[in-house]
Amino acid sequence: MIKAKNRTGLIFFPAYDWEITPSHPERKERLLYTQDQVMEEGVLDIRGIREFKAGLASQEDINRAHFCVPDVASRITPSHNVSAGGCIEAARLVLEGVVDNAFALVRPPGHHAMRVVHGARGFCNINIEAVMIEWIRRHYPRIKKIAIVDTDCHHGDGTQDVYWHDPNVLYISIHQDGRTLYPGSGFPEEFGGPRAQGMTLNVPLPPKTSDAGMLYVMEHVILPVLDEFKPDLVINSAGQDNHYSDPITNMSFTAGGYARLNEMLRPDICVLEGGYSIEAALPYVNTGIILALAGVDYSYVREPDLDPSRIKEDSRVMDYIKRLSEKLLQLWHDRSSMQPPDGPYMERTRSIFYDTDGISETQKEVIRICEDCPGVFRINSHASTGYHILGIHVPWGACDECRDQAQNWFDYPDDYFYAVYLQDMDRDAYTVKVL
Amino acid sequence: MILGIDIGGTHTDAVCIDDHKIIATAKSATGDDLVRSILEVVHALGIDYSGISRIVLSTTLSTNAIIEKKYAPTGMIVSAGPGIDPRLYFLTDDFYLVEGAIDHRGREYIPVNQEQVKQIAGELKGKGIAGVGVVSKFSVRNSQHETMIRSIIEEDFENISMGHTMSGSLNFHRRLNTTYFNTAVMPVQSRFVGSVRRALRELGIHAPMLFLKADGGTYSSSAADRLPVETILSGPAASMMGAVALCRDLNTTTLVLDVGGTTTDIGILIDGVPILEPRGVNINGLETLVRGLKVVSVGAGGDSYVQVKGGTLCVGPQRHGPPAAMGGSAPTPMDAFAILGKFDSGDRDRARSAVSGIAQTLGREVDDVSREIISVMVDNIRTTALDFIDEVNSNPVYTIYEMLHPELVKPEQVMIIGGPARQLQPYIEEAFQLKCIVPDHAMVANALGAALARTTAQITMLADTQQRRMICPELDIEEEVPLSLSFEELKARGTAIIKENAAYLGLTDDVEISILEEQSFNMVRGFSTTGKNMRLKIQTRPGIIREWSSR
Repeated sequence: MIKAKNRTGLIFFPAYDWEITPSHPERKERLLYTQDQVMEEGVLDIRGIREFKAGLASQEDINRAHFCVPDVASRITPSHNVSAGGCIEAARLVLEGVVDNAFALVRPPGHHAMRVVHGARGFCNINIEAVMIEWIRRHYPRIKKIAIVDTDCHHGDGTQDVYWHDPNVLYISIHQDGRTLYPGSGFPEEFGGPRAQGMTLNVPLPPKTSDAGMLYVMEHVILPVLDEFKPDLVINSAGQDNHYSDPITNMSFTAGGYARLNEMLRPDICVLEGGYSIEAALPYVNTGIILALAGVDYSYVREPDLDPSRIKEDSRVMDYIKRLSEKLLQLWHDRSSMQPPDGPYMERTRSIFYDTDGISETQKEVIRICEDCPGVFRINSHASTGYHILGIHVPWGACDECRDQAQNWFDYPDDYFYAVYLQDMDRDAYTVKVL
Repeated sequence: MILGIDIGGTHTDAVCIDDHKIIATAKSATGDDLVRSILEVVHALGIDYSGISRIVLSTTLSTNAIIEKKYAPTGMIVSAGPGIDPRLYFLTDDFYLVEGAIDHRGREYIPVNQEQVKQIAGELKGKGIAGVGVVSKFSVRNSQHETMIRSIIEEDFENISMGHTMSGSLNFHRRLNTTYFNTAVMPVQSRFVGSVRRALRELGIHAPMLFLKADGGTYSSSAADRLPVETILSGPAASMMGAVALCRDLNTTTLVLDVGGTTTDIGILIDGVPILEPRGVNINGLETLVRGLKVVSVGAGGDSYVQVKGGTLCVGPQRHGPPAAMGGSAPTPMDAFAILGKFDSGDRDRARSAVSGIAQTLGREVDDVSREIISVMVDNIRTTALDFIDEVNSNPVYTIYEMLHPELVKPEQVMIIGGPARQLQPYIEEAFQLKCIVPDHAMVANALGAALARTTAQITMLADTQQRRMICPELDIEEEVPLSLSFEELKARGTAIIKENAAYLGLTDDVEISILEEQSFNMVRGFSTTGKNMRLKIQTRPGIIREWSSR
């Protein structure tokens, strides 16, 4: 009998009856071999590790993180209620003190879903971490500062987008360099909105980076940054497609590396994201992560075909990573000297492509540069589906002036919108006006 | 005529059934020699032995052997490969690790080191060990390593069991425990079967002998010789099957309370079938793959010791001998019943004097305290039962369909069996706010359950059409299948396999085959479907034999 050091909760929801299409990588079979490995290893018999049933995220939960167009019901399937609900359940277990940490091993994933949702991007409809985080802030006001460390191989552009302007949510993404992989973003210059400089930190790693490079970044960038930020809660978006066997990426991480990463990071909550090497990686990576969270020896967990010498990064890759780490840490330390632009408003325009659903969107975002609060913002969004909407976000701790501005935008739409949405975090209100 | 015998820790119960009726019951104390206990209770029945057509035994033999470690030293040869360090699961110094690794799809990564196996076999023989268990990780996906190790050592040892034949379920460390215990109790079981058979023959009883298993089913004594570990924890199974036999309304979800002297066992019947422990039962704190009933035990029985602790009245969990009303000295719930005039065969005065000490401490009337004793006991049972139901209902589910259509267990009635059943009935009814029934013969429900339980078996069928392979680990069957194999074809093959192997599995004719679990996945590799991964668990449904149920 093995006794774990920590009490670890596991929410396993493989959604065996959900797929994007019958031959899509996000398929029914995706977590089957992970379940086999976890069951065969007897992980659930380890004293301290307990499996819990997933929950269901409600429409209200989703509306705290998104503007779903035209509404939540049109944009999601019940699978998304469960995967986001599984994350919420993991958070509840941790915050109620039932467990010390928890792993939501759920699908479908979420980190490519942005605040405005016209469809699915990168296999994601809603951002399950964001829905969870907003649920946490709603129900546990003592949790003020949250850090997300996204270790999926793809840049979590959705999570970055949702928290771009949020000074209390630090989003760090480690991923394969966007010049070589979907979604093509996640560069160090993407550093957070005008009132949240440094709250987005991107670590684009060169292809073929293996454990040594990843763990170097953990030790020399991520842990020092977290030490300084002092989050109340740490979340790992635990994508597993950095693995050497992943069919759609070019990195060289191992299950042991993932386990060590989690041992170093000590996240409160892990959420599964991508990872499509369903036979050769996921069974071992997930077993490794669960054991690392529980504080059980994982040193014998490894892929049966592992040959460390074959996947070790060469010295040029390592040198590049060292220089990048230095640069990132410098950037982070300089963040407070970066002055927000002179007010009163700042505007940005972008195009967003929904690869999974083949939708194009243009956004014009306007944020009020506010001295007293994170600042209200509005997103004027026009999609190729024909929907043209305005989403207004009143952030946590919004000042009266920002709230007045939000009301004014809501009451006097300045374009031919299909609908205007008002999301008020402190009041937990979500108002929709169809025009 | 059918004979059912339940050998419990303290009592041995027997019941004889003929033509849908109980024609005799008997009870005797269980002694150290179980064969003798069986003979005593059979004598006490006072029946004519010639008409006996079936004998079923529910025994604590293997349970006790395991708990008290009364078995010969047993060796284990284990191949694991990467994963959790297997040595963390080794129970004794007679566990040996050999090289070899198989993955989750049953592919071999590291072959078994045969020289190492021979060397270990030599060492085990040198230690004078006669029984060896062979286990490899993922052997239920590919039994080749276990089979090979066995073939190397089979000349050297009397008893060998292989992990994949214990159960088709995944769980390496439970497979280790199960195989170890099975090998360890094999000689114990076969000696016992031999002695019982000889003793019964001397009485002129030649009927086939069956054993009750932890899952509430029975199997033939030859199957029990091979898989004796399945008889562990058959005691609670006997009671629950007794409840099934005595339940008149099988469509009603029933909470069963088996109230004994020290503990109350709690289980649930859904559609006349007791619910099972999903991953296997635990014995002595060790997890196994043995399929068994989900039963929870609470330390509250008729003889529970009553005391005042920190100003609060406590009932159980210990027992300090029989109730005062029955000649003991410590106050118990049965004494409370005696005081309240609900236990006529007990000595009321003795009961009153035992409880009066408590009443004095609390500064209250004896009658008042007696009522509270019962209410505390009933409350203990109720709290445990509600937690148990909650636990059953919080089992994780893995499909969206099950998330959106939860089938929650909600008992609609309570059935009480065991000694104080009648006394407790009104209190339980009040506490649970449910109809509470006390069936006739509630006192011998366990022996009745053993007598009447159908034979059961379960097999696992796995088809991986990408590899063109179909296996049934429990029966060591591996067949080639076409890429086009359908789920229906797999089911049909599984059903045929169960029937073909009925004798080996210990089944009699009275079986109903049902599908327990079914899963089918398209295997997608690089944006195209390359095969199907299909998984089935087929069982014969637990239940009560026709000789009783068709009355």
